Amino acid sequence: MAKKLLSVLVATSMMAAMLAGCSGKAESTETPAASTVESVAETSTEETAEPVEITLGIWPEDTLTADIEIYEGYVETMKGLHPEVTCTPAYYKYATDTFMPMVEAKTVPTVFETWFTEPKKLIANGAVADITEELKARGWLDKMNPSIKALLSDDYGNVYGVPRDGYALGLMCNVELFEEAGLVDENGYPLFPTSMEDLAEKAKIIKEKTGAAGLCLLAKDNAGGWHFSNIAWNFGATELCKDNLDGTFTANLASPEAIKAMEFVKSLKWDYDVLTADPTNEDWGTGFMQLGTGAAAMYIGANDAVAQPTQVNGLPVDKLAMCAIPAAEGCDQYSLFGGTPYMFSKESTPEQINAALDFLEIIGKAPVATDEAIAGMKAGAQNNVDNGVPVISSFPCWTAEDYLTAQAAVVEEYSNVDPKMFDSYFNATKTSGLHPEEPGSTQDMYAELTKVLQEVLTNKDADVAALMAQANANYQAILDATFTK
Amino acid sequence: MVKKKSFKRQDLWGWLIMLPSLILFGFYVWEPLFENVRLSLHNSIRYEVLDFVGFDNYRRVLASPDFIAAFRNTFSYTLWSLVIGYLVPIFLGIIISETVHMKGFFRTGIYFPNIVPGIATIWIWNYFFTPGATGVLNIILGKLGVAPLEWLNNTHWTIPLIVVTMTWKSAGSTALIYMANISAISPDLYEAATIDGAGIWKRIFHITIPSVFSLAKTLLILQVISVFQILYEPMVLKNGGPNNASISLMMLQYRYAFRDFDFSGGAALSVMICIILIILSGLYMKLTRSKED
Amino acid sequence: MNGFFTKYKNKKDGVIRGYDISSTSVKIACIIIMLICLAIVLFSVFPIIWVFLASFKDIKEFNRNVTILPDVYDFSRLKATWNAFSFPKFYRNSLIMVLGCILTSVFFNGLLAYALAILKPKGHNVVFLLVMWSLLIPSSTNIIALFRNINILNLNGTFFPLWLAYGANAFYIVLFKEFFEGIPKELLEAGKLDGAGVMKIFTAIILPLSKPIIMVVAIFAVTAAWSDFLLPYLVLKGTNYETVMVKLFSFKDTPTDAVSVLRACLFAIIPPTIIFALFQRQITDGAAAGAVKG
Repeated sequence: MAKKLLSVLVATSMMAAMLAGCSGKAESTETPAASTVESVAETSTEETAEPVEITLGIWPEDTLTADIEIYEGYVETMKGLHPEVTCTPAYYKYATDTFMPMVEAKTVPTVFETWFTEPKKLIANGAVADITEELKARGWLDKMNPSIKALLSDDYGNVYGVPRDGYALGLMCNVELFEEAGLVDENGYPLFPTSMEDLAEKAKIIKEKTGAAGLCLLAKDNAGGWHFSNIAWNFGATELCKDNLDGTFTANLASPEAIKAMEFVKSLKWDYDVLTADPTNEDWGTGFMQLGTGAAAMYIGANDAVAQPTQVNGLPVDKLAMCAIPAAEGCDQYSLFGGTPYMFSKESTPEQINAALDFLEIIGKAPVATDEAIAGMKAGAQNNVDNGVPVISSFPCWTAEDYLTAQAAVVEEYSNVDPKMFDSYFNATKTSGLHPEEPGSTQDMYAELTKVLQEVLTNKDADVAALMAQANANYQAILDATFTK
Repeated sequence: MVKKKSFKRQDLWGWLIMLPSLILFGFYVWEPLFENVRLSLHNSIRYEVLDFVGFDNYRRVLASPDFIAAFRNTFSYTLWSLVIGYLVPIFLGIIISETVHMKGFFRTGIYFPNIVPGIATIWIWNYFFTPGATGVLNIILGKLGVAPLEWLNNTHWTIPLIVVTMTWKSAGSTALIYMANISAISPDLYEAATIDGAGIWKRIFHITIPSVFSLAKTLLILQVISVFQILYEPMVLKNGGPNNASISLMMLQYRYAFRDFDFSGGAALSVMICIILIILSGLYMKLTRSKED
Repeated sequence: MNGFFTKYKNKKDGVIRGYDISSTSVKIACIIIMLICLAIVLFSVFPIIWVFLASFKDIKEFNRNVTILPDVYDFSRLKATWNAFSFPKFYRNSLIMVLGCILTSVFFNGLLAYALAILKPKGHNVVFLLVMWSLLIPSSTNIIALFRNINILNLNGTFFPLWLAYGANAFYIVLFKEFFEGIPKELLEAGKLDGAGVMKIFTAIILPLSKPIIMVVAIFAVTAAWSDFLLPYLVLKGTNYETVMVKLFSFKDTPTDAVSVLRACLFAIIPPTIIFALFQRQITDGAAAGAVKG
């Protein structure tokens, strides 16, 4: 037995040695990136007296190797400008059920991205840093779009985040499948759906002609309710949660319009049968997989996520088109407007916050148009071109003229797509139709809506009106518990 | 006199040696138990405990729209695991005991899923259960000419199928325990039964099953306790859906604590789960004891 | 065919005895049982084989093709995912976690069992009862308060709370206790007469005799620690010490393509599979013997 125990130890230590060998090799050959970042750290600490360390939650996801290289370039620039700062990559995708443990464990990255529905909750829980002073010193406070500043502030006017950009939900289309189904005009542009009814019909044609799903609808997590709220607006249910302006809210999920919208979703599954195999297993990421790999022709997505179907899931850059989410006949069209703020760990020191804000300048996401910032924007755009990601405009959340001009110029210079593929989408968002996310406890509303979606998509005999009434009651209970304390 | 003194010394040494492990037990098992009770009776912001609020947290959790579903499902998981997960290892144990060829291979084969990490197995089964033509099980059914099934999306099947994945993972190791138990049965019993004219079926029901009964009884309560805490399987597979068809009490607790930042609510739910399990254990002990009498 | 059945003549366990095998119906039953067992093993192993096969597919093939087998067996795809995730890092962290857990599992539980089985200080029955009760306490309901305590002690982001958690395991204690109680008293008495102290008896007499049970506990600890995810996820998420399981569990919130997830699953399965292949006999025996008494 002693021999065997010994051999376990030998085996494990051999494995350890093997792994050490592997990792050393991987770092030196496969990912020059990691070692560069480390060497940056070493030199900078030698040079300056007061080193600052920041962790970057805004780092690209592990499999996006090209993006990571760009970010390593940014770190190089950062090193040149601010040698005292050490940047550590720490990719973090915000999720409601992972964030709080990280706050408690003090492992939140110095700077991370979240969604516009989150800041109020994070601020109320004291989970993020107040950055008012730092922003004031940089003069950014006045450059921020006021309504967005309100989203990122507490009741006393302290600001806790800076916006990256805004987005508007639209309908992303896989042009290959539209072509295969014959749904293109004489110039080869896809025939976008003009109404909800038309969307269902076109989806049906696509399903019949290509075998792929016409539409990918989400129903796994809160993203399902998020997408559905836009569909409901376009059926006339424009107020799913009423702000009573006295600190309380009234749920309004069981209106005839909202029920009609849910009936429509149900018919997509049971009458038209145009959805992917399992909507209850589709989330934000898998939706792009279905669209990008040609398993679904249409998917609700936003302009800031065009890398997902293309770079991540392999759709050629010229085969992605976007239009507005159509309205039901006789209803107004709305596009859900949201955005991505950068927020900061509550453990951050002012030096760390400043260093992180400097980094945002370098990647071209701050309201400055310095040479470095423009170089950062260009590097990002070039990277998109190299990886087949459409370079298109974003919805700016800053009012700084020079910054906006510089941004537009970069988009112009690096444009790699036919603007007509996106015209319908941008026109719709320009005219009117931008609708912010519902007030109140929005993520809870999404959760309740998602449950209804799951039921109507798995149960042919589901009673939509009753389910919506139940969801409404549940949501009202949550609102009452949250806002009348 | 001397003897008594050395006896005391031995006591002291004994306690000293137990101390490090007891501290760990205190930290990981006992203290959190009381801490949960305290948390559940106070309100809190993040981890800061604020005011004493009595049973408010309990009331709030009980009134939550998801509580009833989670409560019902958790019992449903437990019942299904007694139907599927509990009987399969007994069957496996008996049937593999009847082979003489490749017995080692069978033992290894059925135990293999047990070493695969739970999270990995769930990801794998996730793709097996995909509805539509590209799900692995539907591909296999397609080869047999059967139309694709909905699997987990058929809410009647969600919980039983999740129990199947758990059984797939754990049945092998339990079966090995039964096999060891079966091979320890004295051959004399079988011989005597054969002489009395008992056939093979009779021997199973009159010798094998009674022999593993006491083991099976112990494993029963351990199984109930572990399945009652089901968490990550429905969380990764269906996020508790469709429409709460697979949400469990532990999942709800996780959501309270780590999604909604509501540690008091989570603690209240923890305490309730604990109480339910204590009642179940008590019932079990009472039942088994009265049978033995 | 007769050769197939001659082995049954020496069958030592189970309901069908050597003397039954002459009957034709029993012979048929034996063949059917054999086939059922083969089917069961296929069912047990197939999902794991499938991960391996599916890992070679690319995303489009995986999502659209109705096939089990991949079109090509291209190892560079596996390598690309391996490099993209920098998987060696996760392996290293998991290894650190596992090795530490083996040590604490053996050391702390062994010591407590030594006191309970041999030293039996006054009040040891109460301790044993407390330990046994902890088997009945739903461990995961403790997680909220436990996580809070870990944060208060500032142990988050380190391996210590994870390692030490394995030092308080009632199941391992029972295993050790049963084994220690089987050690001949004469050996211990002889040690005492030689003037060996309490610790000396443990290290010089008990531990050398306990290698089989140490092996069993170590194997249990390896499998458990490698697969452990909830506490590691809460404690290590976002640090440089994320283990393989933390990474796998994180996939539920991150938009990672399905094939990368599957390949990561494959990487997570490989190390325990190698250990299992090397020690299958000890592992299956340990699993059977260990739990019979517990």
